[in-house]
Amino acid sequence: MTLTMFTLNAFYGLALAMNMFIIASGLNLIFGVLRVINFAHGMFYMFGAYIVFTVTKSWGAPFFVGVLASALALGVIALVIERLLLKHLYGREHLMQLLFTFAIVLLMSDAAKMIWGTDQYSVGYPPGLGGAVSLGFVVLPQYQLFLCIVGPLIAVALWFVVDRTRWGRVVRAATQDREMLAALGVNVPMVYAAVFTAGSALAGIGGALAAPRVALVPGMDATIINECFIIVIIGGLGNLWGSFLGALAFGFVVQFGTVWAPNWQDVLPYVLMLVVLIIRPWGLLGRPEVG
Amino acid sequence: MKYSAMLAAVGVLGAGAAFAEEPIKIGVLYPLTGGGAVYGVPAMAGHQLAVEELNAKGGILGRKIESVERDDKMNPSAASSTMKELITKDKVDIVLGGLSSAVGLSMSEVSKQEKVVYISTIPKTIQMTTDKLHKYVFRTAANTDQEGDAMALLAGRNKLAKICHLELDYAYGNDLEAGILKALPKYAPDAKIVLTLKPKLGATDFNPFIPQVMSAGCDGVLSGLWGPHFVSWVKQAAPLGFFNKVKWISGGEIGSHEIAGELKGDYPDNVISNTYELWYHANDPSHKEFQARLAKKLNTQETPQWAALGYIGVMYTAAAMEKAKSTKADDVAAALEGLTIGTPVGKLTIDAKSHQANIGQFWGPMVKKPDRAYRMMDPAEYIQPK
Repeated sequence: MTLTMFTLNAFYGLALAMNMFIIASGLNLIFGVLRVINFAHGMFYMFGAYIVFTVTKSWGAPFFVGVLASALALGVIALVIERLLLKHLYGREHLMQLLFTFAIVLLMSDAAKMIWGTDQYSVGYPPGLGGAVSLGFVVLPQYQLFLCIVGPLIAVALWFVVDRTRWGRVVRAATQDREMLAALGVNVPMVYAAVFTAGSALAGIGGALAAPRVALVPGMDATIINECFIIVIIGGLGNLWGSFLGALAFGFVVQFGTVWAPNWQDVLPYVLMLVVLIIRPWGLLGRPEVG
Repeated sequence: MKYSAMLAAVGVLGAGAAFAEEPIKIGVLYPLTGGGAVYGVPAMAGHQLAVEELNAKGGILGRKIESVERDDKMNPSAASSTMKELITKDKVDIVLGGLSSAVGLSMSEVSKQEKVVYISTIPKTIQMTTDKLHKYVFRTAANTDQEGDAMALLAGRNKLAKICHLELDYAYGNDLEAGILKALPKYAPDAKIVLTLKPKLGATDFNPFIPQVMSAGCDGVLSGLWGPHFVSWVKQAAPLGFFNKVKWISGGEIGSHEIAGELKGDYPDNVISNTYELWYHANDPSHKEFQARLAKKLNTQETPQWAALGYIGVMYTAAAMEKAKSTKADDVAAALEGLTIGTPVGKLTIDAKSHQANIGQFWGPMVKKPDRAYRMMDPAEYIQPK
């Protein structure tokens, strides 16, 4: 492999990783605090993409207004789901929660069919990001470069909020001991609602930012949710930098795997996950559960 | 009181006379949810249009047609169990439809076991009419050998020398690849395939493939990326100027208006592709009227091509049952062999041996039009298998 090809593949692997991290970060946040495995995350992603389509194409708003609208809309949808339904399921067995989030997937996919029908849609690139940048020996697409900047920005922002603010301290405390936190006078249900809302808004942003690159069709949520789970599991459930690392591992394994072993491309991410689970069952940066 | 009771009785009697015979039940499966719904829903609309038209003319053999419609979810095992239910519970006389080749194969298997005629209206895998052919399976769609043959012909005509080959890694992609490889030496003996890549069905991120194709130095791509796969590829590769450097010759009906109308200005240059039907181009006088009725039903002038396939399936069912004067599977299967009917895309004949209809496809370059927001196929050449 020439240096040019290596650079090109490394860049594409990185871009793939950042695309995935943006989507997986919300799933990870929700699991970290609520201990809920949110199957509906892929569906939230799909809604994010469809909403950006409606806002930009039907209403003629600029792309980034659409991204904001997706985040807001998904936040509101998530808040309603959390306050009305999900809050009754905390502390129940995981199977109940899984079934519940799966029910949300079915309901929302029917809702999407009612709102948008079954046609295929596409969203244009935002102005100035639809071309390519030439670095002399390689040509890189602008939009993917943009995502390579947005991904780490989201990671740093999440880290700052969770690790460096008072609100973040409360959130972290909620993952450790919610009874104690409640005893100290913190409104724990509000913390849960806020985290579920923020995590879902991130899925909306992920879908909105993916929209210019992919065809918008019913069912676009299905592969994404599997890949998000792989990333979150590799990195360590609930660990922010873990899922960042997990996304990078996923991106490079898929990219270089497809180049070197094209017949194995489908299995490679799962092999990666298996290897990690055998060596470190709690993920790359996760911690073993105690108690 | 008595009077109205009498009226009611007369009404019941009258209805009884009209429905003296049970309706003929046509079972049909298309993907109505998930990724396949983009095409399954318009195919179902064409199916319904045909049923409505036939019922308005008195049905089949003087009996009303009842269409029993189900979602195959583009999933072979779901399609298989749903089809069994249609046969055992709903007692349908015939089953039509399917979209994915994997679904088509599983439906064909059920048709063989249950001895019920199945007409594949969209699935293309060649296996259904070769290795896995049986008495009860027929196809009114094109197959992967015919499509591969046309693609090889176009590769030759466009004098491609170094070819990159992209296929989706499932029944359709693998069989289309075989069809192309079979025909390529005939039409383009000097062409060389320098790279073959197979993304998976449903792939949306082509990052792992684009750099490889970009650096392979191909002057042409033969592709089986259909629908959303093609759209995602375009969105990701076009910013790099990819389509300025290659001729993209594609199966999978990306020359249809569905794709052109959605991508509009983003539809790339240098694409040559196919479609079963075009709302703006006819090769048969009956097309105009068909298209007008479809436009009315769907409430749009720019109708989708998939409807014609659903429509043709029902038309063949009616013609076969009328010819057999029976709805029994064995009689209908016998009637379908060698049966010729007129359709909106011209006269078609089902081969008595292979059970394959000689349906062609329109092939041509997708070009810009001054007065349109979307590209159109021009010139559209109808390539029909012999």
